[in-house]
Amino acid sequence: MPALFPRWTNVVARGTLLAIVAIAGGVPVALMLWVRTSYATGEGAAVSQPIAFDHRVHAHSLRIDCRYCHATVEQTASAGLPPTVACVGCHNKVMKQSKSLAPVMASLASNRPIAWRRVDALPDFVFFDHSIHVAKGVGCETCHGRVDEMAQVAQATPMSMGWCVSCHRDPAPNLRPRAEITTMGWSAAHPRSAATDSLGARLMRDYHVKRLTNCSTCHR
Amino acid sequence: MIEHHDDNPALDRREFLRLAGASIALAGLDGCSRMPAEHILPYVDNRQELTPGAAQHYATAMSVDGYATGLIVESHAGRPTKIEGNPAHPASLGATGAIEQASVLQLYDPDRAQSARIGPARATLAAIATALSPEALRARAGARGSGVRLLIEPTSSPLDEELLARVLAAHPDARVHMYSPLAIDRAPDAMVPHYDFTTADVILAVDSDFLASGPFHLRYARQFADRRRVARPTDPMNRLYVVESSYSPTGAAADHRFAVRPRDIASLLRALLASLGGGVSGQPSAPVWLSAVARDLSAHSGRAVVIVGEHQPAEVRALGDAINAAIGANGRTTWHAPSALIGQRVPLRPLGELLDALNAGTVDTLVVVGGNPSYATPASLGFSALMRRVPNAGYVGLYENETARDARWFVPMSHYLESWGDARAYDGTLSVVQPLVSPLYESITPAELYAMMSGAPGAAYDLLHASFAARVGGDSGAAWSDALQRGLIPDTALPRAGAMSIPSSVSTHTTPPPPAGGVDVLYLADHKVHDGSYANNGWLQELPAPITQLTWGNAALVSPATARRIGVTDGSEITLSTAGRSLTIPTLVVPGHADDTVSVQFGYGRSGAESLARGVGANVYAFWPGIGARWESGVSIAAHGSAQALALAQTRPTMATAHPVRQATLPQYRASPTSVGQRPGRVLSLYPEPEPPVGLHGSNQWAMTIDLGTCIGCGACVVACQAENNIPVVGAGEVRNGREMQWLRIDRYFVEREAEVDALMQPMLCQHCEKAPCEYVCPVEATVHSADGLNEMVYNRCVGTRFCSNNCPYKVRHFNWYDYNAHLSETELMVKNPNVTVRERGVMEKCSFCVQRIREAEISAGRDGRELRGSEVRTACQQSCPTNAIVFGSLTEPSSEMVRRRQQPRAYSALHDLGTEPRVQYLARVRNTNTELAGGA
Repeated sequence: MPALFPRWTNVVARGTLLAIVAIAGGVPVALMLWVRTSYATGEGAAVSQPIAFDHRVHAHSLRIDCRYCHATVEQTASAGLPPTVACVGCHNKVMKQSKSLAPVMASLASNRPIAWRRVDALPDFVFFDHSIHVAKGVGCETCHGRVDEMAQVAQATPMSMGWCVSCHRDPAPNLRPRAEITTMGWSAAHPRSAATDSLGARLMRDYHVKRLTNCSTCHR
Repeated sequence: MIEHHDDNPALDRREFLRLAGASIALAGLDGCSRMPAEHILPYVDNRQELTPGAAQHYATAMSVDGYATGLIVESHAGRPTKIEGNPAHPASLGATGAIEQASVLQLYDPDRAQSARIGPARATLAAIATALSPEALRARAGARGSGVRLLIEPTSSPLDEELLARVLAAHPDARVHMYSPLAIDRAPDAMVPHYDFTTADVILAVDSDFLASGPFHLRYARQFADRRRVARPTDPMNRLYVVESSYSPTGAAADHRFAVRPRDIASLLRALLASLGGGVSGQPSAPVWLSAVARDLSAHSGRAVVIVGEHQPAEVRALGDAINAAIGANGRTTWHAPSALIGQRVPLRPLGELLDALNAGTVDTLVVVGGNPSYATPASLGFSALMRRVPNAGYVGLYENETARDARWFVPMSHYLESWGDARAYDGTLSVVQPLVSPLYESITPAELYAMMSGAPGAAYDLLHASFAARVGGDSGAAWSDALQRGLIPDTALPRAGAMSIPSSVSTHTTPPPPAGGVDVLYLADHKVHDGSYANNGWLQELPAPITQLTWGNAALVSPATARRIGVTDGSEITLSTAGRSLTIPTLVVPGHADDTVSVQFGYGRSGAESLARGVGANVYAFWPGIGARWESGVSIAAHGSAQALALAQTRPTMATAHPVRQATLPQYRASPTSVGQRPGRVLSLYPEPEPPVGLHGSNQWAMTIDLGTCIGCGACVVACQAENNIPVVGAGEVRNGREMQWLRIDRYFVEREAEVDALMQPMLCQHCEKAPCEYVCPVEATVHSADGLNEMVYNRCVGTRFCSNNCPYKVRHFNWYDYNAHLSETELMVKNPNVTVRERGVMEKCSFCVQRIREAEISAGRDGRELRGSEVRTACQQSCPTNAIVFGSLTEPSSEMVRRRQQPRAYSALHDLGTEPRVQYLARVRNTNTELAGGA
């Protein structure tokens, strides 16, 4: 009498067992890897806005300071987005008739805000404060990247907890003089030299920067 | 908003397996979701007055019983979220009561009336204005307005009085009536008593809860507590005697408290006056303790005072005046001044006259402004039926309540946080009511209504500004903005009256002896819902009542002896009946209550359109014998064997062996100061030393000291904490399950001391133990210690094992058994503090020492490039406390009040023997007992 199962089924059985082990171990590993991908963190994903606002023109070519539009960055938790009248302040003279500015003019006429889409979103249980980071010498560029080179603003860094905490544990390399806060492309004269290290250490001292890793620093 | 979870649909096995399978299948996908797209909506135009993202603070005032308390209200992006007291206001001194704290929730109450109506049909405000115009009213109610009646609540607003005078000018024969169930029976031009406890060494309060209710209670509580701080054992201390029937917070604060039946109060006062040499004919008998009290009062002549409850009849209050004259208190610790309530320019008539007119059928137009007379009047008066008979009855109020149901037309009233107006404090200080937000619905203020009725409609702002400008005269711009900024106009208190008129002899009219077998029934305002006006406020309903710890409802309070006699326990239903009236209500046994007396609270048993209030508790007004009655005797009481489960926040009346509350008498404290605090130093402990070692970071080390000697258990801190920290309301069912969420509770323990029963109060919150038992058992490190000494709770890490709560000896951790925030209305969400996470189902939470305030202060100091001083941070509970019993700060600042207090010998840690090293320390309570009464120790 021939065997009930042909010989090749042994391979299938072994393969199945292996597959079960691989899936049981692999799925969690894959998920943990997945949340670290830029797709999951949102890093690098450009967000299309209702108005084709180009930071290259405003921040780079015209050299408008970040704080002209993001005016509350030094005072409150939120950096702030400009009110419509801030746009119109210039654009009632410049490119007044441009089609791309139509939503701005519509907002002004209808007294309804422009609905910008958020680029850098943190979960609701995270309480981030722009003002203190700026006061302690963390530049815009450090977290938001070269915004002056972005046609459409994209999230430049992972903005994950691990990324936040890496700087909170060792802030020195990410500090710059307050005068250079909004400078794009700033670097200490000799990267990785002793001078840089001493600049970071000096700023830590001058700005009373602490290594804050209490949970309630961000979670309240 | 709550109770939705109380009835879980039955889940059968198949359904359960199906859901369980789906949950497992979908669990993995949960991590794959990207964050939802969010939008940012900047303003269109520049907002000079606000910085987006920064909180704003405006001064305003809230009126209770017509008297204003000055407030500072915090607002985020145009929505008020938190009430604080105005330190410059005489009625607040920076503190608030529970009702003020909870009033911001009332603003957002989804049950508030949202539109006007005439008949059942929705109406515009313009249509209402037309219907109420002088022409329209003259056409239907007589050329001189003889058929027009207004029924208003007590108010102190000069603006309202001015506009009412204009209404009467348009309708000379119209009448204005004033009614509130809690109003004091007093002529409009009669003087009101004032007290000053800063110089009072001996105080006798007779049926007066002056520390926790009444228009100036916050001020009085502060003055009273300032004389009891005993920073050193040798410091002097005032002494408080309380004579009352039902246990009040003032009674709990007393050094000696005597429980007497309501009917004995007048004769006791008469006996006291007699023993002080006052002119009393006859020879009243007096208990032994009364002569000791009399000797103490006369020994402190000029530095003593007697307060007789305002709800006592006028002749009993006159006895108090006579006693104050006899002990030299008049002009020193007490004086009289004109009432701040209106009634001078506009004659205000009592409700009785309106009832006569309604019975005679001569009223065509009745406009009820605020209040709720259809509910809050004795049922025997039949107000509700009479109002229904009025052809043109209208009601202006916050809710479509019982009175609105009896009205043909209805207009929503603006909440005070949406209104422009003015009001006076108890001493007359003129306060400005400034809105924090535009009216959420189409609503009007009383002033706007009166303006409509006088034929010159206007917005409340214009009416107020015009009235202000007329009063100030000339250029009022600077004075106006100054008044808005301060919230009050300085030096507008009414002048003291000259010498009090004291009756030369007080009649010895004696109370008739009650029929045998009956009990006395005492009628009380509720500490939380007041006269019922705040009954739809979840924060107040869920606030455990001082002393009784009862939430969500009222009860007939009886003494243990009386309970034994009639055979009832907590929750047993009884029926009180007399003269054709009856009331069925559950009982609650309160040690220290007067025997053969039942006290019941107004404000429950509502039946209006307020969904939270409806059906909670029993309606005592229906049983009330008559307006103004404080008590009645000869009521028969019957227990009928049935019982209901009361929603009690604390079910154990006494301390176990652990003695979390300590107290001593002043002589004991002076004799042996160190034995009171009992601090044997660090105890041996198996807990590992804190990691990192506490205090090595150069940062502030947060801690709190709570003085049990001045805590009166009023509950303001509990509601303040609830408002600040987005704490949900769970409902009566969950309170019965012991699942209330308040981070701060006030534990109450009854302790028998000689013939008296002490009620000890202890605010209990997360103790922020340096060796925190909760931290060692959390499997996911969701509760950890910060370098600055906080026991942190990380909601986003918590998986809800509840091990921490199990291991907490103080039982201060609270678990979200349901998603209490999932079903909130759009307006209720607006009250949330944007700086505190709104917690989800399945997460543990507890007091954070208001970490959001700490971090915000640190950030603010960091922006200015300076170090934060610990005393700059004030927690929500500390800020609201009328007696400054709670102080917060950093252990690294030795000069701070917080540190200096905990260096007193009476400081101790609760459950010290467990070795948890709490950062919260308590100061043992010290009672200044009379050696004659207490035998010295």
